[in-house]
Amino acid sequence: MRLNEYRILWILVFFDLPTETKKERSVAAKFRKEVLRDGFAMFQFSIYLRHCSSRENADVHIKRVKKLLPEKGHVGIMTVTDKQFGMMELFYGKKEKELPDTPQQLELF
Amino acid sequence: MIKRTLHFSNPAYLSLHQNQLAIDLPHLKSLGEKESKKSIPIEDIGIIILDNQQITITHGCIAALLDNNAAIITCNQSRHPTGMMLPIDGHNTQSERFRYQIDASQPLKKQLWQQTVQAKILNQAAVLFNRNIACENMVYWAKSVRSGDPDNYEGRAAAYYWKNVFPKKLDFFRGREGDPPNNLLNYGYAILRAIVARGLVCSGLLPTLGIHHRNKYNAYCLADDIMEPYRPYVDEIVLGIIDRGENFLELGTSIKTQLLGIATVDVQFEKSTSPLMVGLQSTTSSLAKCYEGTIRRITYPIMTNFDNKRGSTYKDKEVLKSILINEITESGFTKPEDELPF
Repeated sequence: MRLNEYRILWILVFFDLPTETKKERSVAAKFRKEVLRDGFAMFQFSIYLRHCSSRENADVHIKRVKKLLPEKGHVGIMTVTDKQFGMMELFYGKKEKELPDTPQQLELF
Repeated sequence: MIKRTLHFSNPAYLSLHQNQLAIDLPHLKSLGEKESKKSIPIEDIGIIILDNQQITITHGCIAALLDNNAAIITCNQSRHPTGMMLPIDGHNTQSERFRYQIDASQPLKKQLWQQTVQAKILNQAAVLFNRNIACENMVYWAKSVRSGDPDNYEGRAAAYYWKNVFPKKLDFFRGREGDPPNNLLNYGYAILRAIVARGLVCSGLLPTLGIHHRNKYNAYCLADDIMEPYRPYVDEIVLGIIDRGENFLELGTSIKTQLLGIATVDVQFEKSTSPLMVGLQSTTSSLAKCYEGTIRRITYPIMTNFDNKRGSTYKDKEVLKSILINEITESGFTKPEDELPF
């Protein structure tokens, strides 16, 4: 198969941005908003993730995040394969939660 | 890159939020926000099928989808695709490409049609071959197609193909308004046509100006031309549905899912394999180059994975396969009556 769990990548962006001054808060808000506009969804506060159907596609979005980087603050960008992502264990409190669904090429609503 | 196909068969509100397609599904409201509200990046969408009378879509959303070269397909009450919306400017050198396309000479168009018919007949032969039905005559016809197909080998091959491809007990007669499984074929072709039209627009071509089809009522002549060699891929899906004995009298969800899967079917080219939606882009861009005069062949897929499933046990099959492959790579502009237009 061409679209499989080894080719599909998830990009994780985690960031700590300073929010001391009004200016810094606006910069941080803008970064977050732009990341959302690029198709990332919030996973946890200041951790955002995006599904990419191929390596090439992931490269595009990583490049875009790099362009958005603010002057100050710590940002991490990481990619994992869908296989690795699917092995994550997720808890809300002590309750185990299901992982977000992998978007399919074809979706029926 | 492979884009996503979205099919809406339930009431939905579609709008634009932060460059994302925001989907609100009222029928899932009782399950909570997580189920009823979804968001999908516009840039990941290739085709969107609106198959319910209670879908509301905002203008911003339509404009953003078209900006992203997505095809929007609307369906009528009987849930068959009726219309398609495509962007006006899908390519940056569009005007130049339009001009090349409009100025294309008659001999060039005829040669392109010859290649198209050849590829189509060979792919049809491959489907028959897969089902252990005699197809030597098809291969011969494919070889005999002349520029512009004046002998109408396409029709001859189609007649033979449709008579034999379905199981005998089905008593099949192919027609647009015909009995099932015609409805499956029509549905599959409509989706395929949308994918092809989208590919053409992306390559900066006018899907209206065909190389062979010229019906004045048809808005997608070129799409109908270029999709010909791809039709057998739809046929294979439909045949698979019939072989598995599914109830095909109605277009159920399972059948629709399989037919919509046409976008991800693997297609083989001389050197590479790719999902149909991606392979189509190379077909359309090669067509644009043919119009420009830089190359002479359209890149069409060849169904050569004949014996993958069954194992090559028959010698004559091997021979036939090699004929099929050689045919597609060697035929073309060798005939003396074909004056090269460039």
